[in-house]
Amino acid sequence: MSEKILDVKNLSVEIPTRHGILKPVDGLSFSIKKGEILGVVGESGAGKSMAGNAVIGLLDRPAHVCGGEIWLNGRRIDNLSQEQYRKVRGKEIGMVFQDPLTSLNPLLPIGEQLTETILEHLDVSKKEALDRAVAILEEVSIPAASMRIGSYPHQFSGGMRQRVVIALALAVEPSLIIADEPTTALDVSVQAQIISVLKKLCAERGTAIMLITHDMGVIAESADRMAVMYSGQIAEIGKTRDLIKNPKHPYSIGLMGSIPAIKGDVNRLVQIPGSMPRLSDIPKGCSFHPRCNKVFEPCYTKRASLSKVGNSKVACWLYENSKGANE
Amino acid sequence: MTKHTLVKIKALTKIFDVSKPFLNRLIEREKKQFLRAVDDVSINIVEGETFALVGESGSGKSTVAKMVVGLLEPSKGEILIDGIDLNDKNKPDELYKIRSQIQMIFQDPFASLNPRWRVEKIIAEPIVSYKLEKTTKAISARVGELLSLVGLDPSDGRKFPHEFSGGQRQRICIARALASKPKFIVCDEPTSALDVSVQAQILNLMSDLQDEFGLTFLFISHDLSVVRHMANRIGVLYLGRLVEVSNSKLLFDNPKHPYTRMLLDAIPDLEMSGKARNAIEGEIPNPINPPSGCTFHPRCPFANKRCYSEIPMPIKRNGAIVTCHGIEEGRIDYLK
Amino acid sequence: MISRIIENFQRAKKSDFLYSFAHSPVAIISFFVAFILILSAVIAPLIAPHNPFDPATLNLMNGFSAPMKPNEFTSEVFLLGTDDQGRDVFSTILYGMRISLFVGFAAVSFAMVLGVSLGLIAGYVGGWVDAVIMRIADIQLTFPGILVAMLIFGIAKGFTPIDQRDEMAIWVLIIAIGLSEWVQFARVVRGATLVEKNKEYVQAARLNGRRSGGIMLSHILPNVLGPVLVIATISLALAIIAEATLSFLGVGAPPTQPSLGTLIRIGQGYLFSGEWWILLFPSLTLLMLALSVNLLGDWLRDVLNPKLR
Repeated sequence: MSEKILDVKNLSVEIPTRHGILKPVDGLSFSIKKGEILGVVGESGAGKSMAGNAVIGLLDRPAHVCGGEIWLNGRRIDNLSQEQYRKVRGKEIGMVFQDPLTSLNPLLPIGEQLTETILEHLDVSKKEALDRAVAILEEVSIPAASMRIGSYPHQFSGGMRQRVVIALALAVEPSLIIADEPTTALDVSVQAQIISVLKKLCAERGTAIMLITHDMGVIAESADRMAVMYSGQIAEIGKTRDLIKNPKHPYSIGLMGSIPAIKGDVNRLVQIPGSMPRLSDIPKGCSFHPRCNKVFEPCYTKRASLSKVGNSKVACWLYENSKGANE
Repeated sequence: MTKHTLVKIKALTKIFDVSKPFLNRLIEREKKQFLRAVDDVSINIVEGETFALVGESGSGKSTVAKMVVGLLEPSKGEILIDGIDLNDKNKPDELYKIRSQIQMIFQDPFASLNPRWRVEKIIAEPIVSYKLEKTTKAISARVGELLSLVGLDPSDGRKFPHEFSGGQRQRICIARALASKPKFIVCDEPTSALDVSVQAQILNLMSDLQDEFGLTFLFISHDLSVVRHMANRIGVLYLGRLVEVSNSKLLFDNPKHPYTRMLLDAIPDLEMSGKARNAIEGEIPNPINPPSGCTFHPRCPFANKRCYSEIPMPIKRNGAIVTCHGIEEGRIDYLK
Repeated sequence: MISRIIENFQRAKKSDFLYSFAHSPVAIISFFVAFILILSAVIAPLIAPHNPFDPATLNLMNGFSAPMKPNEFTSEVFLLGTDDQGRDVFSTILYGMRISLFVGFAAVSFAMVLGVSLGLIAGYVGGWVDAVIMRIADIQLTFPGILVAMLIFGIAKGFTPIDQRDEMAIWVLIIAIGLSEWVQFARVVRGATLVEKNKEYVQAARLNGRRSGGIMLSHILPNVLGPVLVIATISLALAIIAEATLSFLGVGAPPTQPSLGTLIRIGQGYLFSGEWWILLFPSLTLLMLALSVNLLGDWLRDVLNPKLR
């Protein structure tokens, strides 16, 4: 039984504004084991990036964690001070963001950015840091790594830059990687390469990955388990294969149906009427109920909690059975 | 009954001058540099059909789109819409008539609407500009009609674009495109910036409108699964050249050109059949300095000496048009 | 029609703009001060105890009266004292502000119209038109504003007959100051135009047959006006000071229509002989006016800056 690297319990994030308090994340619970990839899928406004930022501790003010707990490697981190969080962030959590152009400092050669990070968090000599840097660049398949260590980010192509970002994230052997839309800015042909690099390195090291994306294809290819987020909450969570082939929550069903297929008959795409509610206008009860074709009495007033259905957990009154709760 | 060919694009080429300023070139002794964004593209689109142009970034598809609607002047080649040459300056009356028949739906739903204009003014712009209605009342009525057509409420006309979501804004763009009663609409990645479920709504809407009004679409996209859904015929662009053109079903069942096959292989497997994706070799080369001969040869598993030196010409094969030496020579077995 | 007005009012009520204003003490105070000053200048004929420009009402014996102290010769009391010619300082400040404000607003309006037009054209048309306009702007900037103003002034003086010089002075002042300020408007508008020009809504307009002029005026202009407002406010403060400076140097407002700058010049001569009020009060007024307008401009810039939101 693999240990849990990340355990998020009932996480809530709120943003106080002059129009009222907005809740982009509302009672999120999930965990990621060692070596596992959890895909967090959702459309714009679902709150998945906020959740990722909350785990890293990089929420933009005035957004802040207002409830729940975040446990990393058996240690609670959501209540750490800024300084303590900073140490955790670099050493135990690595980050891969969408835009490699802004993730890397354009004025520093990549070698320096790598060694800087390594020296900050690991107790090694400069020479050793440089060796590690070259080694990890080779692992992400940057050709002629030892020569390119002095190059600047703009001298690499988009796909290569993202590999450097992955190298940077993995340089100090973190236990968890948060990847927020790592392939969205890349061409389709490059996406596959990046995903395979990420998978390979994490499998070798046993690093857990929280992969946040709106691209179902990326999830299908790489995630062991996936969570579908809607309006700040998890609608359904389970093994990727189960969820994609056999979704249970009406939103997941609609979502899978609206993806144009590459095989089979060309039918009219399933469409879910309406759109994700704005943060200032989240419906009472189940936040999906205005758009749901299976809505019935309890949906209007009370929010369903995650119930166990087979190997997945679904937050829907159709399946509510009081089993499941926190694990 | 043969349908009328609405759009004839012949040998369309666009070369951009990307040289450094004159003084710099003089001092640094550099030659002029040119970018062949579009190279010898020929497409015929029949009335009522959807033709999709597929390619990755740098393939030139957006440049083709801009030339077809008249926003950009081609370096070589012709564009004939309903028989009228878009770039023939000698016939301004004909040109004026045809312009209202061509419209475009843009990719970015945020930048394609003027943030300071109310929605009704945005949608009314083509009507006013082409003088299609005379009175304010008539214009207002037509705007309300268009808003309902795209699934919005006529009272939404008083609002500003920022009050709408991405999908709703794209609907407003579609309403604007329909305002001048066009025959031909160029859609430049209309759903790339949208969420999957919203994309479904918009694609369905576009199909419905096409059926209702007999519209002809040139659909530009990088997403093959979307294209499969919307297009009758598909053209695959690589570095400005068309490498394969065939009808939709045929392209997916039996792709011929090595690049087409690579693209199809790169699509993630949502069927979860466990098939591993073949990683594509390399990346798109710099279009200012493209490889010699067939520009795909560095990434092609079937490249031979001829591919390094000679640019292939389009040939007909089994219902498709392919541009590949390997297929011409019968070296590549594409019949699965 | 009424429903439209109500609609706009409700929209304004909810806006962030008014909210920031209501929560910024600096903005409220500056606005208040500027408002009072401008209002008093506008209604000067109604509230000024005397008309300082009418020589008939002046009595030389009233000269050099101290504030609030009865004059030793005529026993008249003046709120802020009198200057060397017996003019009531308070009234002169009020009337002087009229000149300062008129010149300031007019000069900035001129600069704004000129600068925004040139900036729009340069940005949208591009090519050699852009190059020419921007080079003219660069050349303009190499000359210090005050010197340019003095140069124009001098040339204008040479052309006008003596009896019309006083009337002409104000207009020449306006043109001179306006010419020294148009460049910043042009530059900012050009930059913003370059950004907007490439956006898809402009392409859509071109597709729909709109011509360049129409696109510039109805599409691009509303979207580039934001920073213009900020620059206009700060330019106003600068223009007021520029006018005061020119008047101080003797090349601005004519002595028959003294502005704040003229008063300061007069007062400066008598500072050390004890009649401090002639210098102090006009200077304080100028300070408050320029400062409040400047602070308002700063607040506007912060409020309208999308990056700070």
